[in-house]
Amino acid sequence: MTETIDIHAPGVEIKKSCCYFCHQNCGVLAYVKDGEVLKIEGDPTHPTNQGGLCCRGNIALLHLKHPARINHPLKRVGEKGQNQWEKIGWDQAISEIAERLNQIKAESGAEAVATAGGTLRTDDWSRRRFMNLFGSPNGFHNALLCWIPTFMVETAVSGWSPFETDLSTSRVVILWGFNPGASAMPGMRGYSDLQKAGLKLIVVDPRYSETAAHADLWLPLRPGSDTALALAILHTIMFEQLYDQDFVNNWCVGFQELWEHMWQYSPEWAAPLTWLDPNQIREAARMYANNKPGNIQWGCTADQLGRTAGAGMHARALIRAITGNLDRPGGDLMPGPSMAYITDEELEANEWLPEEQKAKQIGSNKYKLTSWPGYQMIADTAKATWGKAPTAEWMCEAHGPSVFKAILTGDPYQVRALIVSATNPVNSYGDAKMTLAALKEVEFLVTCEYWMTPAALYSDYVMPIAGALERPIIHNNYGVTDSLIASQRAIQPLFERHTDYDFWHDLALASGQPPEQWPWDTLEEAFYYVIYPLGLPVASYDEFVENYRFYYPPLEYYKFGEKGFSTPSRRVELKSSILEKLGYPSMPTWIGPAENEIDDPELAREYPLVLTTGGGFMPYHHSEQFNIASVRFLRSDPYFTINPETAKTLGITDGDWCWIETRRGRIKQRANVEPSVDARVIYAQRGWWFPERTATPEEPFGCLESNVNVLSSVDDEHCDPIGGSWANRGLLCKVYKVSYWDKVDATDTTFSIPGSSAEPGVTVMPSDQKLAYEPIPYEPPGAPFEVPEGLVWDENTQIAWDLELGLAYDPESGWLYHPETLVYYDLVTRYAYDPTSEVLIDEATGIRYNLETREPIEGGGADGGGESGADGASAPGADGGGESDSAAGASAPGEDGGGESASAPIDEEGGEAQ
Amino acid sequence: MSHMNNNKLTKHYWVWPIAWYLFLGGLGGGILCLSGLFDLIFRHGIIEAGSEPLAQVGAIFALPVFIGVALLGIGSFLLVFELGQPLVFLRVFISRTAIIKYGACLLVLAMGFGFIYFLFFLPPEWNLFYYDWLWLRDVCCVLMMVFGVGIMVYTGVLLSSMKAKPFWNTPALPVLFTVSALSTASALMALAAGLWPATTFALPHQVEVQHFLVEQLHVIDSVLVIVEIIVLIVYVLMMYGAGNVTARTVAIKWLRGAFAVPFWGGMILVGLFVPFVSYLTGGIMATAVAPVLVLATGLLLRFLIVYSDARRPIPGEERYWSRIPKGDEEFLSAWK
Amino acid sequence: MTRYAMVMDQRRCIGCQSCTVACRTWNDLPDDIIYNPVVSEGVQGVFPDVHATFTPLICMHCDNPPCTICCPCKASQQDEDGIVWVDEAKCMACKVCVNSCPYGARDLSSYDRPLHSFVRKCNFCKDRVREGEQPYCVMTCHQKARIFGDLDDPQSEVSKLVNSLKVERIFPELNTDPHVFYIPDLGGHR
Repeated sequence: MTETIDIHAPGVEIKKSCCYFCHQNCGVLAYVKDGEVLKIEGDPTHPTNQGGLCCRGNIALLHLKHPARINHPLKRVGEKGQNQWEKIGWDQAISEIAERLNQIKAESGAEAVATAGGTLRTDDWSRRRFMNLFGSPNGFHNALLCWIPTFMVETAVSGWSPFETDLSTSRVVILWGFNPGASAMPGMRGYSDLQKAGLKLIVVDPRYSETAAHADLWLPLRPGSDTALALAILHTIMFEQLYDQDFVNNWCVGFQELWEHMWQYSPEWAAPLTWLDPNQIREAARMYANNKPGNIQWGCTADQLGRTAGAGMHARALIRAITGNLDRPGGDLMPGPSMAYITDEELEANEWLPEEQKAKQIGSNKYKLTSWPGYQMIADTAKATWGKAPTAEWMCEAHGPSVFKAILTGDPYQVRALIVSATNPVNSYGDAKMTLAALKEVEFLVTCEYWMTPAALYSDYVMPIAGALERPIIHNNYGVTDSLIASQRAIQPLFERHTDYDFWHDLALASGQPPEQWPWDTLEEAFYYVIYPLGLPVASYDEFVENYRFYYPPLEYYKFGEKGFSTPSRRVELKSSILEKLGYPSMPTWIGPAENEIDDPELAREYPLVLTTGGGFMPYHHSEQFNIASVRFLRSDPYFTINPETAKTLGITDGDWCWIETRRGRIKQRANVEPSVDARVIYAQRGWWFPERTATPEEPFGCLESNVNVLSSVDDEHCDPIGGSWANRGLLCKVYKVSYWDKVDATDTTFSIPGSSAEPGVTVMPSDQKLAYEPIPYEPPGAPFEVPEGLVWDENTQIAWDLELGLAYDPESGWLYHPETLVYYDLVTRYAYDPTSEVLIDEATGIRYNLETREPIEGGGADGGGESGADGASAPGADGGGESDSAAGASAPGEDGGGESASAPIDEEGGEAQ
Repeated sequence: MSHMNNNKLTKHYWVWPIAWYLFLGGLGGGILCLSGLFDLIFRHGIIEAGSEPLAQVGAIFALPVFIGVALLGIGSFLLVFELGQPLVFLRVFISRTAIIKYGACLLVLAMGFGFIYFLFFLPPEWNLFYYDWLWLRDVCCVLMMVFGVGIMVYTGVLLSSMKAKPFWNTPALPVLFTVSALSTASALMALAAGLWPATTFALPHQVEVQHFLVEQLHVIDSVLVIVEIIVLIVYVLMMYGAGNVTARTVAIKWLRGAFAVPFWGGMILVGLFVPFVSYLTGGIMATAVAPVLVLATGLLLRFLIVYSDARRPIPGEERYWSRIPKGDEEFLSAWK
Repeated sequence: MTRYAMVMDQRRCIGCQSCTVACRTWNDLPDDIIYNPVVSEGVQGVFPDVHATFTPLICMHCDNPPCTICCPCKASQQDEDGIVWVDEAKCMACKVCVNSCPYGARDLSSYDRPLHSFVRKCNFCKDRVREGEQPYCVMTCHQKARIFGDLDDPQSEVSKLVNSLKVERIFPELNTDPHVFYIPDLGGHR
């Protein structure tokens, strides 16, 4: 008989904690007595969930007290993978790890140390801060599968990615490869409510998902063909003139080029690629464009298509833009980084990572937009607009699969140490067999975990991490919105568990990073620093949580009206200059999915079905919760979905164990026979591993057996050249029943680079692998004028510079000027112009020269030349310089009055970059 | 049937002890009923037969009644054994309305009066005071009949009262169970009367009475067997033709599914028709083989009925429960 | 009088099973006990013209419950506010009530200690409800597909829904008078 727990008993405190099992971070009230959490329930006053909690949220107590949790630092004593450990103290573990990392850094450089993350189950800024101060650019996450490439493409095009949708007055929303019915429960409630009030839902999903079931228009496309659909929708909106003419005319550049480029992508062109009827595509385009304001909600599928992904993201960004839905009431809001509190980026210490280390970031030579080359451009532009940049964690990372390849091949250089934090890479990164091999192979492996995962099993040290209820949490949407929700810990971490912040903080200090870089002893102190600028009367972070809990600035619309969009041209760049400069097509250009029946009919004969993986399903989140028996009880086996027609042909009945095979390998799942997918489509569940099984060193916990990532591809030519995301969806596969004789054999576990189970081992070195398309060499158009001798034309700033003196050239007047002081200088002599006395002054000597003849003026003294430019310089010969408003900058010498044309683009960042 | 099953639709909450209980209860009730009946009829000379007056019945019903009481006792034990909390079985008497409580009372009373009846045949040298109280013996006989019938009917009513179980929920079930109970009781009594332990109680002049009894029981049972065949087939066909999908599904299981062999072969043919023929042919087939087959059939019937406990699925339930772990999965015990 | 009842809005239910898990954790149920499964026949039809419906199940808290009169120990009982519940201290686990429920709402845990199992079922979280709160499955439902309240109160949401919409009940022909009402989903994508 269960004892009744009285949560209203005296001495029971209510803590405002939150769920930590997906990104929603729903509010949780924890009833705590004497350091023990008695019960939890959804927080009815929390803005996200209003009392609701899903399967995952409800298991927090089971998670907290789970007997399989790792509670003490473990140090390996046996061979790798033998599962033999010694419990050691936290400090000892930290100092031993620090020592080893320092040794590797001394021997092979800081870049030989990499860290793998999962998806926001940590305080990632602290990891980034550690890595930046340590000197390694090789941190990475699964970010490339999770919306980050979309963010970067959209930011490149229109200055920010509209994560925040103003649904209250919206009339239509496209849920594109997004199934809130299984992955974002609070969102799904919102859609149901709004739909009742008239919102139209367009759902793009190859499967009749929980969300598709509620759609007003469902587009069941071929998995992986989203890009073709996006292009055809964009085409329809353009050529049926459904776009917002005013917005395009006033706020977009490159419409004419786009018009010419998009002509080819008609719905008829897309029909055979997407398996949709052209009229369905038109209907969707019209429904979206004619119901303004409208939104395209975020969703991760677009990022998981592999090589075809980039153009799709790009096309979607353009669809939002030309319909005028950006930053308008009811549309896609673009808040930019928060001005009110300290953003994650400001905590990351990116400025401390030396340039030469940035250049060593693995994958940044291939996938440029989501690594330093692209991020730098975007961050510079953002800083010029807001003074703040998007977070670098997630947006600017090493290419995960390439790091694993580097571990195995030493190409481009040997990665010797890996710190795995909050991820189970075998199950969550592409090409699981290769990933598993890399984990076995890496010289020094540390894992920060709740559980004994495959990665933890091969580790030298496993560090116990505090989970839900044991840590304070700030939810700020990865820094892409300007709001913030804060939660407190219900209890201090049990046993020797620590937060990730503690781990990185302690490791930083132990490895010799200066203590002044880590001024916050606890996460609460750091979070207090974050919220301090809000200026609220609170003395601690906990007080903020208890009294305020969240910060939502009022919604602001049409912010571009003041500063323009945060792009180099201050307009939405329909022809993206950032992508162009990085060597990518400046306008969305079709390339087929990694494997498809049109480009490769030969392959399609052997693998006739189209596989989609990666979709979330209740009650699991990625590879989590498989060890919570109460949850597992509801879905104890992996199931793939197959259409009854196909199942009949293949002799498969509901519940049969079947092999699903792609070129890279095969896995076992059970058949869920139902007509929710097309007869040509297989939908396989992600994340499956069997933590209850034994930790065999070869394939621990059955981590390959039913793992869809055995099937996915991380070959460079299958990855999206723009964002680097690998191919989870739209792959070709075949399915057949598991027979008694057909046992797991060696080829089911051996890895290969590139992924092909037919050829195990490394057959092509990573650096010899080609991308899906060659970079388009960017030919800078050069200066639109003749650059005088001695000056250097800079493409980024569009300015010809005197690098020695840091002076910019004004082609209108033929003078040089200083971008900060706005003092004009003579092109020939580099003497400063003094507008008060209309003479030239040599600032070094103070000698004055005649303006015309450049002869020294006899008897002239240095009277005030230095201060001449302080209040905005008027150019020599300008008769109305004073009129031009000071913000517009300098009027050029020789110019007769017009302030506008001569106001050179004053870009502080650009200036410093020289 | 102890393997794990968490499928709420196919899970049997009542299993073999209940089947045995229903069988033993019906059998014991039937024996008490028939014994009381014959004892009264014989002693009061209601029928005549042969040279010896049937009134000289003496102790020939002692053994059947003892067996009947014992079987009821075993049945009750199994019923208690089947409880999730056997130690508190006395709680069964708390309710006023529950059928299962009536059943328990009937069992206790039948066993009680059966026991009192049996006491009349304790060795005479014990010289107990009630040996001459023949009215008490009559009362016992009547009450044994009443409670015996009660138990036979009750075992059927217990199941047939369940709206949730379409294959049970019919008034035909108590009829079927009563016929079967009487049939098995006749068989066991015939068996008991014809075998050696019975003769140890019988005085020489009673042997003839006993033979008469056995003959009568054979006739009665051959009729009951035919009736049972008819009731049984009608029952299953009625379920097959019923509007209820679940009842029909179960009936199909009987007629041509998993239960077809035990039903057609085991019960109808071997268990009922063969005994019928055997009773007619007489000899060892009638005295030994037929009763055993009838008894086996009675048990088999209870098993088949108990395991025909399908509940009507709510749409979607079948799919749901078929995907729920059985209970022996590794993950369920990995983190205990 | 108070008569508690629940309405399941199948138009909103998406089959996430949050209520199932929430109930298990809130009530500390053993692994094999499920009070409120969410069942579905799966997607039906011919692709792409398909539909799916989810049916959240729970004890129907019938007005004419077959599971209380059959209980010999008076453990299975109904309160005046309609809540049908099992007093675990009185139960001897004869399982007659389990077999008598047409909705499969009762179960006997096999993971309890030996010789001490008992029948368990949903009790509408009566401890919470009588404190003025919602049953936990109702509170946890993100989709607000479960609505709970007093059917006798004309102002309550359940009363309004039951009286203003065409609601359905499961197996009404059994005359159990179930007090869980379903607002059916028309099915299909619209």
